[in-house]
Amino acid sequence: MIKKIERVRAGEKVFDWLLLLFSIGVLFEAYRIDDGLRLNSAGSFPIGLALIMIVSSLAILFSHRRKQRDPTILNAAQEFKVFLSEHFKTHIIVFSIVSMMYLAAIVWTSFYISTFIFLAAMFVYYRQGKIISSLLIASLAIAVIYVLFTMVFRVYLP
Amino acid sequence: MSDTFSYLLMAWLDPGLLGLTALGVLAGIYIGAIPGLSVTMAVSILISFTFSWDINNALALMVGIYVGGVYGGSRTAILLNIPGAPSAVTTAFDGYPLAQKGEAGKAIGLSTVMSVIGGLIGVAVLAATAPHLADLALQFAPRDYFLIAVMGLLLVSSLSGKSLARGIFSVALGATIGLVGMDMVTAQPRLTMGSMELLGGIHYVVVMIGLFGVAEAFYQLHNMAKVPVKQNVDKIIPPLNMVLKFLPLSLRTSIIGVVVGALPGTGGDIASLFAYDHAKRTVKNPEVPFGEGAYEGLVAPETANNAAVGGAYVPMLTLGMPGDAVTAVMIGALVIHGLNPGPMLMIETPYIFWFTVGNLALANIFLLVFGLTGIKLFTKIVEVPKAIMIPLILVLCVVGTYSLNSSMTEVYWMLGFGILGYWLKMFGFQMGPIILGVILGPLLDESYRQAMSSVGNSSGDFLLGLVTNPLSLVLTSVIVLVLLGNSPLKGWLFTRFKRD
Repeated sequence: MIKKIERVRAGEKVFDWLLLLFSIGVLFEAYRIDDGLRLNSAGSFPIGLALIMIVSSLAILFSHRRKQRDPTILNAAQEFKVFLSEHFKTHIIVFSIVSMMYLAAIVWTSFYISTFIFLAAMFVYYRQGKIISSLLIASLAIAVIYVLFTMVFRVYLP
Repeated sequence: MSDTFSYLLMAWLDPGLLGLTALGVLAGIYIGAIPGLSVTMAVSILISFTFSWDINNALALMVGIYVGGVYGGSRTAILLNIPGAPSAVTTAFDGYPLAQKGEAGKAIGLSTVMSVIGGLIGVAVLAATAPHLADLALQFAPRDYFLIAVMGLLLVSSLSGKSLARGIFSVALGATIGLVGMDMVTAQPRLTMGSMELLGGIHYVVVMIGLFGVAEAFYQLHNMAKVPVKQNVDKIIPPLNMVLKFLPLSLRTSIIGVVVGALPGTGGDIASLFAYDHAKRTVKNPEVPFGEGAYEGLVAPETANNAAVGGAYVPMLTLGMPGDAVTAVMIGALVIHGLNPGPMLMIETPYIFWFTVGNLALANIFLLVFGLTGIKLFTKIVEVPKAIMIPLILVLCVVGTYSLNSSMTEVYWMLGFGILGYWLKMFGFQMGPIILGVILGPLLDESYRQAMSSVGNSSGDFLLGLVTNPLSLVLTSVIVLVLLGNSPLKGWLFTRFKRD
């Protein structure tokens, strides 16, 4: 019987090591709550959780022993390249940057103006042009948001 | 008794509630069907908009979305081979081959009827069992609550993904996030890293919107280029003899759905997998083999995932433990409205329970109506390109988060959780266990500390109580079995047993 080989994704091991480091950081923070280890205190449960996170992240790292890297990836540099090409595709980077700019813009322009610009820019980019229809859809979306959230739900908008 | 009936029929007789339930079901069908949108995401965002509403109105809308959403996922599973929701993954196994054979209409019609049957059976079981379970739960000690929460979290860890270690990590991470802020007993800051802003804690709705909304939007960016296949849909109302033929299987898988759904932390996806497996084992000679378009393979998961809705409400309303990710979010909604999900809910606000039961039944009736109509419009709407949907999801997430406390800091937190969720999702971690951890973490902490205080902080007495009290013993045994069942020891024992 042929055993199915589990593959480790590019960057997965590094990510899992980061989780272990994060768990150790949580343990440190949890330990500082009571400056010690007590069975029933504000810090006891966070310490327990941090220990669970450390043990489970060690188990995750240990499970990589059964997995194999993609045969086309021969060294760490190649893995890094695959990782970048998988997770940092142009449209993901653009979305991330524009999203952050949008959140920053909300503070110093109005919500509606920044949202309209964000939506229109994203629609034009992802639909590769189609400027007029993208602007129309963005306007329609803004109108729906206004009716729904300002008139119907009456929520505070940024 | 008359009060019970009036609460049961409240949603049926009030035009406003009737309209909100109908709207919720209709919206839920589309939300569940559009890949990238999820019921959990919708309900998470809705909490922030509806917290100023009357609780009945808010619940009517959320219940409608929940019921419609669980069903809606099956539509795209059948038509496009893209399950709109995790509970519809098994539906695609036989649903899509049926659509390829030109039987999409019949498959959708049958799945609608079976979903309604499953949903109504789930509601009936909820109405029959929950009051008794709540009475029993009143006798639970803090230690038992602690054990139930541990059991639920372990179950969700083991069932929701390929790796138990990843599941446990997710749950612990969620619980850690849930504990950030000032300790309710001693007022000590916990895990705040010295930040004053974190003293108030991280609102779970912020975490939910980030993990289910933004993370999903980023995740969907990976499949931007995928173009779905279009199917022709003919007449969708199934013939009566067809419904009757599959009724026995539907009844059996309804029970599976309710039971699995009632296990804290499981839900429709696990229920549909169990039901599909049951159908494969019990239907010996299907007309078409399973996986190639067997109607049995469609009926079983569709009945079970809707029956699981009623089941998921059982632990939520009686123990305050979520049956699945959506009920975890619903607990948040009830708490925001000043209610106390758990055994006291039946005593303090019984009308909420009976209103929910009546509302769930009503939502299933609307499901039948909307499920069997408007299919042409549906096929158009689910074709909304991701290029339009993904930026809109982000805007909705921003609005939903900001409307909670009018805080841009929370919006940045939400984005941070979205990015974290994206990376976790990319590397095989599930979002459901994290959310359950966020909800159950503080409860676990509280019940653990109460349990320890009740035995004078003696760890020996605490451990002894786990095996001397009958209920605690049962719960401890389940926890040990779940752990053993997922450990390498199981493989070793199994090999030894086979060899002997």
